[in-house]
Amino acid sequence: MALNAKIPEGPLKDKWQNYLAKTHIVNPANRKKLDIIVVGGGLSGGGAAASLAELGYNVKVFFFQDSARRSHSVAAQGGVNAAKNYKNDGDNVYRMFYDTIKGGDFRSREANVYRMSEVSVDLIDHMVAQGVPFGREYSGYLSNRSFGGVLVSRTFYARGQTGQQLLMATYQAMMKQVKVGTLKQYKRHEILDIVIVNGKARGIIARDLDTGKIERHAAHAVVFGTGGFGKIFYLSTLAMNSNGSANWRAHKKGAYFANPSWTQIHPTALPQAGEHQSKLTLMSESLRNDGRIWVPKKKDETRAPGDIPDEDRDYYLERRYPAFGNLVPRDVASRAAKERMDAGHGVGPLKNAVYLDFKTAIEKLGVDTIRERYGNLFTMYEKITAINAYKEPMKISPAAHFSMGGLWVDYELQTSIPGLFAVGEANFADHGANRLGANSLLQASVDGNFILPNTISNYLSNEIRAGKISTDTPEFEEAEKAVKEQVEKLLAIKGTMPVDKIHRRLGKIMFKEVAMSRNEKGLKWAIEEIKKLRKEFWENVAVSGDQNGPNSELEKAGRLADYLEIAELMAVDALNRKESCGAHFREDFQTEDGEAMRDDKNFMYSSAWEWENGDNWKLHKEPLEFTEVKPTVRSYK
Amino acid sequence: MAFKKGLFKTSIGRKNLMAFTGLFIIFFLIIHLIGNLILIIPNSFFPIEFWNNVANVHDMYNAYSHFLVHFWPVTIVAYILYAAIIIHVIDALLITLKNKKTQGEKYIIADNSTSSWYSRNMGVLGVFIGVFIVLHMAQFWLQYKILKIEHDLYHLVIATFKIWWYVLIYEIGIIALGFHLVHGIESAHRSLGVYHQKMMQIVQLIALYFSLVMAILFAIIPIILYFK
Amino acid sequence: MKLTLKIWRQENAKTKGKMVTYEMSDLSQDMSFLEMLDVLNQSLAIKGERVIEFDHDCREGICGQCSLVINGQAHGPESHYTTCQTHLRSFKDGDTLYIEPFRANSFPVIRDLKVDRSSMDKIIQAGGYISSFTGMAPEANAIPIHHDIAESAFDSAACIGCGACVATCKNSSAALFVSAKISHLAKLPQGKVEREERVQWMINAHDEEGFGSCTNTGACAMVCPQEVQLIDITRMNFEYNRALCHSKE
Repeated sequence: MALNAKIPEGPLKDKWQNYLAKTHIVNPANRKKLDIIVVGGGLSGGGAAASLAELGYNVKVFFFQDSARRSHSVAAQGGVNAAKNYKNDGDNVYRMFYDTIKGGDFRSREANVYRMSEVSVDLIDHMVAQGVPFGREYSGYLSNRSFGGVLVSRTFYARGQTGQQLLMATYQAMMKQVKVGTLKQYKRHEILDIVIVNGKARGIIARDLDTGKIERHAAHAVVFGTGGFGKIFYLSTLAMNSNGSANWRAHKKGAYFANPSWTQIHPTALPQAGEHQSKLTLMSESLRNDGRIWVPKKKDETRAPGDIPDEDRDYYLERRYPAFGNLVPRDVASRAAKERMDAGHGVGPLKNAVYLDFKTAIEKLGVDTIRERYGNLFTMYEKITAINAYKEPMKISPAAHFSMGGLWVDYELQTSIPGLFAVGEANFADHGANRLGANSLLQASVDGNFILPNTISNYLSNEIRAGKISTDTPEFEEAEKAVKEQVEKLLAIKGTMPVDKIHRRLGKIMFKEVAMSRNEKGLKWAIEEIKKLRKEFWENVAVSGDQNGPNSELEKAGRLADYLEIAELMAVDALNRKESCGAHFREDFQTEDGEAMRDDKNFMYSSAWEWENGDNWKLHKEPLEFTEVKPTVRSYK
Repeated sequence: MAFKKGLFKTSIGRKNLMAFTGLFIIFFLIIHLIGNLILIIPNSFFPIEFWNNVANVHDMYNAYSHFLVHFWPVTIVAYILYAAIIIHVIDALLITLKNKKTQGEKYIIADNSTSSWYSRNMGVLGVFIGVFIVLHMAQFWLQYKILKIEHDLYHLVIATFKIWWYVLIYEIGIIALGFHLVHGIESAHRSLGVYHQKMMQIVQLIALYFSLVMAILFAIIPIILYFK
Repeated sequence: MKLTLKIWRQENAKTKGKMVTYEMSDLSQDMSFLEMLDVLNQSLAIKGERVIEFDHDCREGICGQCSLVINGQAHGPESHYTTCQTHLRSFKDGDTLYIEPFRANSFPVIRDLKVDRSSMDKIIQAGGYISSFTGMAPEANAIPIHHDIAESAFDSAACIGCGACVATCKNSSAALFVSAKISHLAKLPQGKVEREERVQWMINAHDEEGFGSCTNTGACAMVCPQEVQLIDITRMNFEYNRALCHSKE
């Protein structure tokens, strides 16, 4: 199938309005006859579920947590961007669009990015109306902060818990619709497959994680707000149960997977402390406003950080990027840290961290100012590490964070399977090869609340005559059988290798060769290793217990089985892209002084991979056409 | 939602009732304490001309109690008081029974470091106070007002507080009352919704000192009488 | 370091549970408490035994999924921490830890240490929202909200819905949880419009879900990971009484 992005006619700034003017909508009386399944209860899925339910559709929302309020959107700290121009600093929709396109290293779809910037203005109004306590000035008007990669202040925030507050608003909107009766929640349900009938997405197979029951659910359309798959690295900033399974199962049923290898590695997470570690906690990017990053000049330095004089310190970001210094974009900062650690200058017991030092800032501004700005982050740091960061520098380290890649979608957010839509981090659309800070909350919220409800109607308007979708069809039968077989297969192996251990090994392979910097040899090695590990998994994984009730090992094993396949596609994608762009850095394609080298002539496209049974993928290229902006070299020197 | 249901059936409504009745009983306690204090006034406290109308503290106390029994508005307030006490007790029972039902299985290891023992045991303190009230009423109210066996209340009081075990029971009752008051006063204000952080701190201070003063004054009278 | 774990094992809400002892050795001080349970579960999985089911997700103290009562203390020994933020450095070598689920009638055990907290969702469903629909919002700056009021609303809105307040309350009351939402919305101008309906609906739902009556012991605020204040409960009582006084019936 050829890719058709369905970008509307007209100049860039009119495309969304042109689309809205011409799109088909569904008569209110018909909406209650239409069922929609939403997978995921976070900002994107939850926002879509609430907004669609408000319109009067019958919405069923599925999530694996015990409440939608726990979806991982909750963990976003810094803020949400919007082109409100409250600061009178020259911000506007176009500037925001341009910053995002440039931040993504000119690898995203112009029309989508412009639309996201355009709708951002409504989002802040919406969230304030829902009761989000955004930071305010003493005058009572909304306050803004500044984030990496931009020259204006357009980030709205609710202390260091903006994601939580936006999610609570979305969750409350969902609860309101549950009371009204147009929204039904399926808590603690995991999606194990998607069902295609006559080429259209018509339902899902889900497992009730409490009873173990495999269930069939049918609908006229399915929406995925399933988030990212960064947990594939095992050590990541993601929640323990975040996974890529729903996306992957859809991929295996025909949905194209786009740019899977583009994973954002966040530079300021806490380093791994030991072999048992399960999670790398994120420290907000805002810390880099006042913190200085350095490593000792001497390899194997044994002195305590406070005893190392300035002349023996290497402030490598300030040295390499004098213009932006400690505030270079995330991909650049992470790569520079990796370079220093690989050269043997890492600090901490495992030599896997760099210092983030507030000494200069405290001397200049006083400890009280620093406490007021970052107090909650310093407390969080102390809770986890037992170190007082006012007295000694923080140790930080890069960690897997955000999946820029995801299910390929067109302008309507529809995947290559008709009737299957993907919103938020689950799709690939808006961030190109690198996401700017505070754009993920934005994308998730606008996709769910403002874009999807308007585009899905264009599809559903043709479904009003379809009648109730039955689950009693051979397609559902077959899908359910396959799911049951896999569950039984996992339980029958009875091996000796716990799921977490295999996942940890997969993570190590991925972090070594398919993360911050990649090369042909390493990627080929990784593919072989992943295949070997997959074989070992299916021969020797230890899953105890049974399927008739809660079984966390079984849940994890199912997710890991998919990760072991996603991992390979990530490596394949990275191998295919013989250029460096954004988070994708190929050592074999760099300038003499070690900076990324983009190849616009040959790689100005999004890779959309089609699953071909077995070990093979077919590449579809969606060419990226830039009508409004001219791709330039990203330089932070 | 019906006003009545809100006031009497919901978890907050029930607490309101506790607060109203509790605060009313406190008001009575103050009056009661003033009466009691007459008992320990030395005859020399007032100038000699004062005693033209009443002969001494003995007569003064009896005149005061006679007034309480025979002045009709006081009788009405007394009945409201009895009602308040009964409602306070029944409501407490209802709340406790419901709360017992809501608890799941007991923790194998319990840690109570997060709250004060008296705030957790208002019911137990209440039982102590209840037993004390019954004894107290049987000793004075029943004999003086209902059975009318004893017409000289002052004499009855003085005689009673010469019995060591009665003094002991009285003291235990008063200590229980003191702790009940410390939490009760704060809790009543919280239940009624004084949602001002500073105001609440003042209420906490008042609760503490008021309870302390009440308990000390109530407790000191029988001891003085015992040794007098 | 070495620890003796006594862990509550229970098949489901209908069966009786019991404490089972596990000896752990070779633990390190900077391991998190849940990572220790991961290690224990791995060893159980290899032996083919059913693993210990416990709730967890974000492991950074914000999702509210983790629960557990360690030695009688909800979310472990450190005050205002979540279980996932608790590290083994909070314990001494050779300690015996009693690990139990959050206990309350409204939190039936699903298995082992996992409990069902749907009852809290039901309270929010009853009215814990502003009935604004997508698309109807006015310009965000149209209603100025004083900095301190926004901050104070945030303090209440910070609740992560973990249920530690219920678990630690001797009455299993969800007053702190309910009051955090009522206070959050009642403080903001956009939430004031439906404050009376909201508080009545939510309190009725709270009672129907089988939570107890608050007796103001203050234990909840002492364990709350987000440090939601006791004054919120007082605010809720005020809102409720205010609504009663305005009641037309």
